[in-house]
Formats: sequence, C-alpha cells, structure tokens
Amino acid sequence: MSEAVETKVEEEIDLTGANEVIDKYIDMPGSLMPVLQGIQEFYGYIPEETVHLTAERLNVYSSQIYGVLTFYAQFHMEPRGKYIIRICMGTACHVKGAGRISDTIEDRLGIGHAETTDDLKFTVEHVACIGACGMAPVIMVNDGTYGSLTVQKTDEVIDKYKKMD
Amino acid sequence: MVNLTIDGKQITVPKNATIYEAARDNGIHIPVLCYAKKLLPYGACRICLVEVEQMKGRLIPSCTTPVTEGMVVTTTSEEIVKVRKTVLEFLLVNHVIDCPVCDKGGECDLQDLTYEYEVVTNRFEGEKFDLPTDEVNPLIERNMNRCVLCGKCVRVCDEVVGYGSYSFINRGFETKIATAFDRGLHCEFCGQCVSMCPVGALLPRPFKFKARPWQLNEVDTVCGYCGNGCTVTLGILDKKVETIRFNDKIGVNDGNLCIRGRFGYSYVNSDDRLTKPLVRKGNQLVETEWDEALQVVADGLKKAQDGKGAGILSGARLTNEEMFLLKNLAKTLGTGNLDHSGGECYKGVTEGLLETLGVQASTGTFPQIENTDVVLAIRNDFYDTHPVVGMVINQAVRRNNAQLLVVSGKGGKLSKLPRAKTLLSGPGLELDVLNGLCQVLLEEGLAKTDGLEGLVALKQSLAEFTADKVATKTGVDADALREAARQLAGAGNAAIMLAYGLPYTPLSKELAVAAANLSLLTGIAGREGSGIYLCGEKANSQGAIDLGLLPAADGLGAQAMLDAAAGGKLDALYVVGEDPVASFPDRDKVEKALEQVPFLVVQDLFLSSTAAKANVVLPAASFAEKDGTFTNAERRIQRVRAGVPSPGEAKTDGEIIAALDAQLGGSLAFTGPEAIFAEIGKDVPAYAVNYTEIGPQGVVWGGEILQPVARKLGEAVAAPMVEGAYRLVTGSALHHSGTTSTHAKGPLAVVPEPFVEMSRADAATLGVKEGDLVKVAGNGVELKLKAKVDLRMPQGVLFAPYHFKESGVNRMFKTESVISVTISK
Repeated sequence: MSEAVETKVEEEIDLTGANEVIDKYIDMPGSLMPVLQGIQEFYGYIPEETVHLTAERLNVYSSQIYGVLTFYAQFHMEPRGKYIIRICMGTACHVKGAGRISDTIEDRLGIGHAETTDDLKFTVEHVACIGACGMAPVIMVNDGTYGSLTVQKTDEVIDKYKKMD
Repeated sequence: MVNLTIDGKQITVPKNATIYEAARDNGIHIPVLCYAKKLLPYGACRICLVEVEQMKGRLIPSCTTPVTEGMVVTTTSEEIVKVRKTVLEFLLVNHVIDCPVCDKGGECDLQDLTYEYEVVTNRFEGEKFDLPTDEVNPLIERNMNRCVLCGKCVRVCDEVVGYGSYSFINRGFETKIATAFDRGLHCEFCGQCVSMCPVGALLPRPFKFKARPWQLNEVDTVCGYCGNGCTVTLGILDKKVETIRFNDKIGVNDGNLCIRGRFGYSYVNSDDRLTKPLVRKGNQLVETEWDEALQVVADGLKKAQDGKGAGILSGARLTNEEMFLLKNLAKTLGTGNLDHSGGECYKGVTEGLLETLGVQASTGTFPQIENTDVVLAIRNDFYDTHPVVGMVINQAVRRNNAQLLVVSGKGGKLSKLPRAKTLLSGPGLELDVLNGLCQVLLEEGLAKTDGLEGLVALKQSLAEFTADKVATKTGVDADALREAARQLAGAGNAAIMLAYGLPYTPLSKELAVAAANLSLLTGIAGREGSGIYLCGEKANSQGAIDLGLLPAADGLGAQAMLDAAAGGKLDALYVVGEDPVASFPDRDKVEKALEQVPFLVVQDLFLSSTAAKANVVLPAASFAEKDGTFTNAERRIQRVRAGVPSPGEAKTDGEIIAALDAQLGGSLAFTGPEAIFAEIGKDVPAYAVNYTEIGPQGVVWGGEILQPVARKLGEAVAAPMVEGAYRLVTGSALHHSGTTSTHAKGPLAVVPEPFVEMSRADAATLGVKEGDLVKVAGNGVELKLKAKVDLRMPQGVLFAPYHFKESGVNRMFKTESVISVTISK
C-alpha cells in the first residue's frame, strides 16, 4: 500500500466484451460469479477496468468484487499466456522427477511458477495432483496432457508449442 | 415476549432479541468484540460463546443466537473461560503488541479482554503480521497488523454508510481487510469505520500521538455544520479540541457522523481565528480593545439609524439564544431591517411551505425515515448536504427494503443505493418532474384530495405536466414517472426529502410548493410515520425560521438591504456569522453593497472576504465555545455546550450582541442561555420548554408528527429549459458545508480546492483529464477550475460547488439555477 498505490493503472481495454457478458446476466440476482468467469473467458484474465464496470452495472462494490477475485484461485488479474502449462507437483510426480521437468521448462521459457512470458504465450503454474499419477511425471498444456515425461520429451513438448501461434 | 434464564436469573425479553442483547439489557456481562449495536449480528470473533442447556455439546455464540422460550443460558463456566482465553490466544498469535504507541491503548477491546481473561502467556507461536500501513490518505490511519478481522469496518461501510470501501480479501491466514485492489483508502472519509474498530487498526490520523484516551475531557455538544444536528462529543485536552469521540448513547445520529462532523472540528483550533477586535483606521484594520470597538460600532449604528438606516444580517449558525438577542438588538436600535442568510436565498422554501401547509418545518422526525416504505429524495445533493440523514435513508433501503426514488439532474450516492430509481432529468428541471408526479396522481385518481384547497387551480396549472410532456422536456422516462407516482401513492409510510441552502436559491419556493403539493396529494404530510422533510443547510437554519429572525413589516429583508446598500440607501450593515461575498449568489451585487455602505460591521471567526471590507470586525466564538441551543432540521431543540474557551479575546455572539445592546441603551442583559431560552418561550410558544429538561435526545417541538395547519395546493411555475452544449449547476459538495469547512483541515485534506465535475464522455471530447485546469465561461464570467471526471454526471452537465471563495462560482450565478457555459482547456 505504501508503494504509490494512488496511481491507478490506466488500462486501455475495450469493454465491449465485458458489457456483453454483463448484459447476459444483468437480470439474474447473484450473478457476480458467472459474470466474472465470463469476463475471464473473454479477456483471459480480469482487467481492472472490467471490475469497475461490473461494480457500476451490477451495483456491487468494487471492493467486494476484489474480495471474490482474491478468494478464488480460478481468477487471475494479470494477463495470462495463450498456453497454460500446469506442472504436476503431486507426490507421485515429485518422486518421479517433477523437479527436473519444472527446471527444464524454466530453462526453456525463463519463467517459474505463476509467471507469464513477455510475449504472453506461456504461463507456468505448479499444481498439486492432477489425478494422473499413472503417467507421472505429468504436465498439462491447456487441455492436452503429456505424461511419463523426461527432460528430452519435455523439450519436445515445448518446441511443439513454441512453433504454434 | 420470551422468558428465559441467564445465569439463574429469570428474564423476559422481546422475541427478536439475541442471547447477548437479553443479557446486556438485564445487566449480565458477556464479552463481545465483533458485535455492534448498530450493525447486523455477525458472529466472527467467537468471544461471546455461552452454554445453552437445550443445545448441549457445543458452545453457542450469544450475539447471533436468538432467544427461545425456556432457554437456560450460562455465561461463565470453567469451559467457557478456557475457550474465550483460547480465542484470545489465537487473536494474539499474529496481532502486534505495540500497545505503548497505539492510540487505542486504554480503550481497546482486545487489550481489555486480554486483561479481563488474564492471558499472560500464549501457547501458540506464529508469525506476526508485517503489513504496510496506509500512509496515503490524510485522515484515517490503517494499520492492518492490529486488525482482528471482526469485519465491523466492512459492515458499517456497507450497512450504514452504503459506500463499500472495504472487503475481506484473500483466504485463510492471508485474509485481511482491504479496499478494491488493496490500495490506499479513497472514500467519503466519514470515519465510521474508525468509530467501529475495536482495536487500533483504524485510527483518526489527525489525533495521532495527541493524547491518551483517559486524559481527554469529554463534552457532548451539537455539530456546528449542517441542519442534521448530530451529537458530537468533543475530546478535549488542555483546553483544546483534539478529536471527536465516538458516542452512540445520545442524540439523533446514533453515533454516525460525516467527514465534517468527525474531522471538520479543526477550524476551531485554527491559527487564523480572530482573537481581537479590529477597527479600520485609514486603510488598515487595526487591533483594538473591546471597549473601543463596541463604542465605534454603537456610535456607527446609531448614526446610521438617525440617517438612512441600519440593517442586520445574520448567519444561521448562531444559537437560538443569540438569534433572540439579535432580534432584541434590532428593537433597541429601532430598525426593522433584520434578516438571516436565508432571506437572501432560500426564503422561498419557507414561504412556499407556509402558503401550502401553513407550517415552516419538517413534519416528521429523522428516526421515522428508517421505517418508511418509499423515500423520495429531491436532488442527489441531499446526501451531500445532509450525509447522516442520507445514512438513515441507506438503512431504510438496505435493512427495511424501502424503495428509494431520486428526482435529480445528476447522479450521485443516493442513486447508487440498492434498487434506487432515479428520475434523471435535465439540469434544473427537478421541479417539472415533481409537477409531473402530481399530475399522474390526479390523472390516475390516486390523489387523496379530500379537504384540499386549490384543487381546481392546481389541475389547471398541471395540464402542461402530463407524464409524456414532462418526459419530452426533462428526458425522464414517462413510464418510470408514472410508476414512481404510483409507488408514492401506494406507500404506507413515505418521506419526501428536500434540502435547501445558499446555493439552492433559484426556484426554491416553487420546489417547496411542488414538494408540498406532492405531500398533500399523497397524504404524506402529517400522516403518522410519514413526512415531508425540509432540511436546512446550517446547524440552526430551523431556529432562525422558528424565531422569526426576519424583517419587520416596514423593514428590509436581506436582498432588499443589499439592494439598498448598493444604491446608497442604507448607512450601516451589521453582518453576524456569514460571509456573503463568498456564499451569497451574485457576488458582484454583494460586493457593491458592501463597498457602498458607509459603515460595515462583521462578526466572524475568521477575517473572511466580507470581514476584510468592514469598518469594524468583532471576533466571535465557534460552536465548541458556547452554550445554548440549536434546532435541527426535524425541529429538535438540542443543547450546545462549551468545551473550550475562545481564543484570545474572542467572545460568543451572544455576549457581543448583549454588550452592544447595553451600549445602545437596551434593557436585555446577557443573563446566560437558560434565562434567554425562557424569554424565547414567551415569544415563541413552541419553545416554551424548560431549558434544563432538554435531555440527551433533545426536545422535538410540535411532536413526532407536526400536523399541517393548512392544506392548500399551490401553483409551482416551472422555468424554461436552459439550452446549451454544456450546462453548469452549482450546489454543495459532500466534504464541505457553507464556507466554514474551508478553514478546517480535515475536509480540506480531501477536497482542498474548487473543482468542476464532468462526465467521462465530456472529458474525452474535451481532451480533459482529472486535475487539468479548465476554463468555464458563461453569464459574462470566466472561471478557472480543476476538472473532476466521474461517472455520476450526465453528458453535457457540469457541477461546481460553491464553498470556495476563490472559485467565484457565485459571481457567475446571480439568480439562475442553470447556466449555459462554454468549457475549454
């Protein structure tokens, strides 16, 4: 708070998408969660301006929305990468070398847990068990699952996504 | 009623009571931390756990559990004490123990409970919070390391204030109270959260390191700003007001205050206060002794009275007793030229009300508003002029599901309350909307017309105000207008709220008549639980009206006096507690009057822009330095008590006026407020109350419901619409009241200078950013004002508050309510 909190970040965001999401739910009481989920789906994260817009249009305090956003792990307030890499750090993966996998990814992309590459292509997240212990060590890239990874295989996965748009 | 047993004591309590309330009301102590009388039950802290025989096997939070018939409650047992101790140990795991430097020390609930339960060691160890303190805002220090997460600040800001600054953020151990995006506080700064905080997490910054709570001497008095009449408890150390203490035991405000009440006291301590009389010698105002000053004033007034005449113009922050003395002074002097500041400005409101209802006051009392079904607020500014009544409206809306209707030319706080319906009109066209509401009532047969005079004439005059025509002119949706009228007509209890004051002069009579018409047609005026509320801008506006501080039959009122002075037809003017140059409409006229009048006496706290022109300046006392009574906007006569002496040789207005009266050969000696109040009672029957019997809740003259003595509908002629790409309106800003608050550090810390408020769309068109200096020109006057950009202003409408003398807003506004202006960077 002491760190120059008064300077509001001026984000140039097109609010059309957020307005459309709100239009859809505005007559439904208690619609804050679906609205926020919709906004995140549209923008990939929740831009600050959309919080103020939602507050204004749903007549909810911005502070309350911020409370909700910080309570649930599903919401992100920073732009996220196109490809979300979830590295499983569960017990089985840990034993089978998840550390080496995450090191490899960090080497290749230069980002660690909860970080996003500058080109907004990749976001890395360390997650607890994703329920695929039989395939340990395992990562997910968006909805794709890659199991029984080695350092080399991980390299190949990264290469594959680097080549994609 | 419900019967139950607490600690072996048989008690009977209302069925909606909680166990805690039942115990408290019967003298049984249960400790609480997150409970507050004015907030809904919450149950966050678990310190109030008790045993209930019927609910064995677990401890029950007494502050959230309603009583039931036959309940058997134990408030203290070995197990309860053990659990409470544990709760405290948990709280103290990460709470920093910096009590020696914490301003809450000595009145901290956590400190007191730790002491009460003798928590001398802690079995648990953990990290202490190490969060940064909010150093950004000037008034409220937020040290979240001391927070116990009781949520009182979150709740009061929502339930009572309706602003919603705070929320719980994050989860689990990381949970804390924060604003949106965890920034510094940026709000109304009413300080309600400070008053609720049980620990030292939220503290008034101006009070930091000023005094220990037990060193303070407390004096209950009435806030000197607006007509709400909130009780303020002065915290005094060494004859200086150091803070305003929380007090929800007495008064009409339930401990609620706004920024002015809580942080606006500091003008009392200002170094700019006048401490000695000043007499003009040559071109200079020179300090002098009282004897000489009074002699000069008496001689000057007498000479003027023997010549073309003298006039007396008073502000509305004098006590009733002082106003009475001033009336007598006019008699002694032999002049009928007497008026209060409303005479220049809002006298239309009282005239309009007198012609229609036959009374010149609110017909209900503020606490009744909380239980109304429909509240109609005229202008969003109502919250800005009377924030604490605004909080009552918020509670009516949030707690009791009242429907709020707002008739306004701009958005604002009230429009944002839940389910609020705003009939947003073009600027200055609120009157058309009120007439439109009346017309709908008549048209649809919803009006209660029995016993009303003037119905035929009203029907004729309203022919032009059908919903469709009003919609075309004002931009309000016709169906919304009809629906609003139906809601008002169908309401069991309803309140109509109209604030008046110096910046709301134009159309004030018409607005009052239209509001009165509406109150008559709906039956709101005089109905039990309902009322029409006319809320004066100043602490004793109602007193000035009640006491008839008005021109005699052959005398001049405020406007006439200024006109006469400007035309060289008045030889002296005695201005008491008002700064007309800064606050009255048409500054050019006022300045001309004050320059032309040969002898000008100004009695004030500061060397105001009016005082600077005076021949004699008399230093007066603030509200915190005098005894007497104020009458608030709901007719409540309340005691004002001196807490501190006046600076230097400044005297109370009463003492000065009485001394002057004696000098002029008058008979009324200053025998203290009690004796004078008794004299008032002989003159004004409603005030025939024993001074000593004015208790903590004051005395409401006329009773809870004041019955109108007339029921005469009036004609409210609407003004033509002002056209233009940009239209400017003036009014009051939330953080200020009159011109006095521009001497107070608290309000100034938040709103330090004049501004012009505009919509985002206009700002974008003009290429203007918040804080840019813009030129606003109209009516032959150009103002340079800082831009304020927000969501509440409709496109093409600008708002500039009137409080700041340097803004010159009153130079532009002469008699207009709206001015077509040009605006440029």
